[in-house]
Amino acid sequence: SVQAHKEEENPQKTMEVNGFMPVPDSYDYDLIVIGGGSGGLAAAKEAAKYEKKVMVLDFVMPTPQGSSWGLGGTCVNVGCIPKKLMHQAALLGQALQDSRKFGWQFTEEVKHNWMTMTESVQNYIGSLNWGYRVALRDKKVTYENAYGEFVGPHTIKATNKKGVEKLYTAETFIIATGERPRYLGIPGDKEYCISSDDLFSLPYCPGRTLVVGASYVALECAGFLAGLGLDVTVMVRSILLRGFDQDMANRIGEYMKEHGVSFIREFVPIKVERVEEGNPGILKVSAKSTRGDQIIEVEYNTVLLAIGRDPCTRKIGLDKVGVNINERTGKIPVNDEEQTNVPYIYAVGDILQDKLELTPVAIQAGRLLVQRLYAGTTTKCDYVNVPTTVFTPLEYGACGYPEETAVEKFGEENIEVYHSNFWPLEWTVPSRDNNKCYAKIICNTQDNERVIGFHVLGPNAGEVTQGFAAAIKCGLTKEQLDSTVGIHPVCAEV
Amino acid sequence: MAQRLALQRLLALPTRGPLASHGRAFGTSPGRRNTFNVQDGSDFQDRVVNSPKPVVVDFHAQWCGPCKILGPRLEKLVAKQEGKVLMAKVDIDDHTDLAIEYEVSAVPTVLAMKNGDVVDKFVGIKDEDQLEAFLKKLIGA
Repeated sequence: SVQAHKEEENPQKTMEVNGFMPVPDSYDYDLIVIGGGSGGLAAAKEAAKYEKKVMVLDFVMPTPQGSSWGLGGTCVNVGCIPKKLMHQAALLGQALQDSRKFGWQFTEEVKHNWMTMTESVQNYIGSLNWGYRVALRDKKVTYENAYGEFVGPHTIKATNKKGVEKLYTAETFIIATGERPRYLGIPGDKEYCISSDDLFSLPYCPGRTLVVGASYVALECAGFLAGLGLDVTVMVRSILLRGFDQDMANRIGEYMKEHGVSFIREFVPIKVERVEEGNPGILKVSAKSTRGDQIIEVEYNTVLLAIGRDPCTRKIGLDKVGVNINERTGKIPVNDEEQTNVPYIYAVGDILQDKLELTPVAIQAGRLLVQRLYAGTTTKCDYVNVPTTVFTPLEYGACGYPEETAVEKFGEENIEVYHSNFWPLEWTVPSRDNNKCYAKIICNTQDNERVIGFHVLGPNAGEVTQGFAAAIKCGLTKEQLDSTVGIHPVCAEV
Repeated sequence: MAQRLALQRLLALPTRGPLASHGRAFGTSPGRRNTFNVQDGSDFQDRVVNSPKPVVVDFHAQWCGPCKILGPRLEKLVAKQEGKVLMAKVDIDDHTDLAIEYEVSAVPTVLAMKNGDVVDKFVGIKDEDQLEAFLKKLIGA
């Protein structure tokens, strides 16, 4: 501990003595961005606008199953984009069924080909990867497909897939390394299970699938897999969609259950074994109840783990430059200017502590940060009232507070909730559910009945929510909402 | 696009086209002798830049639909020219440096190269008449 104290007093000297790099007096780059995802690319492209010399490092460590992908980050490759496309594929399946009632006649049974869909989705992603390369080149941002880690002040080491190492220095750094799916830590998880990182490029149809988890990733994946005609079960440890409005979460769960998804509640897997080889083969999952000692064993073709995501912050040398991370979660705490405890190192995106994990948020944060750095602006990223949508079979759009949080924060007596079921006109003819779609707004009675929470469950929830998010940002009140004439016949008029 | 390393290891052959791994054609049809897949930067230097004959360079990608139509169409017409012009195929994901060097943004991009210089170029799909005119101009000029 004496040694540690000495190092703290004169870290530079110690590092020199230990063969580490001293602080350089001039830098290779003005800005180095570690991570070429939503946040990283947005920041890099913005910085190039101000004629800064920028480098982006992006590298994908392959999954235990061997999956990897190109430039663009999670959203483009293994997140929002392929998810929404596959969700759309499932919706089209439903539409085909509905179409008969609207007069379309086709004699054949409709089947789904996983390979055709996956190939189309991957082709689109390939074009996006290339598009990003071209965009970086056009804006004169240097790009290296290499793993970046800090090795000393203002210095990083970039290792490419052939193992070649290069050192680079920069005046400023932005860490935007994102997250990767968490594994359970049980026997057989890495060998036999897949994650969302593997699902969207799976070279064979997953078949009868067990989805472990109740996050939006789990429910969205379970939703579209079932929509494509697969036999899907979701294993939930406790509640659905933690952090979201629980009434809405339960409605989503009910809808999924009524539409072919099985749920095993209050169980966690303890072991996964392979019973039969093949693509897919057959896996046996042993699971234990969270309430007692009961153990069950069930067989599936595929087990998809969606129990959470962990930040990629533990192996990038943050200790070498003194950046603090939350040891338990791996997240990086930043101030409201996205700055870490080390003044020249910033961070954006999913790795931030206590911030929303959404692509548009990362992009906005990245751009505003760069504008503050190089364009002299002072605008900070507004993390309040950010709209979001969960693309479960019945889509859920939300902006503002969940009901429980509003009650907790403002007190039940100061909240008024207005709600309604609605029946989309398009669902009437094909006789689809007439009491599932639902909308509610939460108002603060102490503040002119200002709308502080907006929740809608129904088709195209994302499209519906976007406009309301803008209204809420402007301070929408119930009265203003009432006096807005509705568009007819659309779901949003409710 | 996503790749699975396990499959990549199995399918270690670098090319995807109708030719064998060394790019040396050994079909008997003329098309095969005149078309090759570029292996790397120095291969490009040897067989395209330093080629005594004019070369059309077809920059394509696996994820590009129109490329899959243009490729065979162009190959067929190159074969028709009886050896007066050669065709080099470059997969932009495998040879990104090359694609960037020649400023390829969208695919398919086809360059006409003579004596190491780019003398003509087009982007996107073309029909047979247009391709034939393109090739004749390269050979004739």
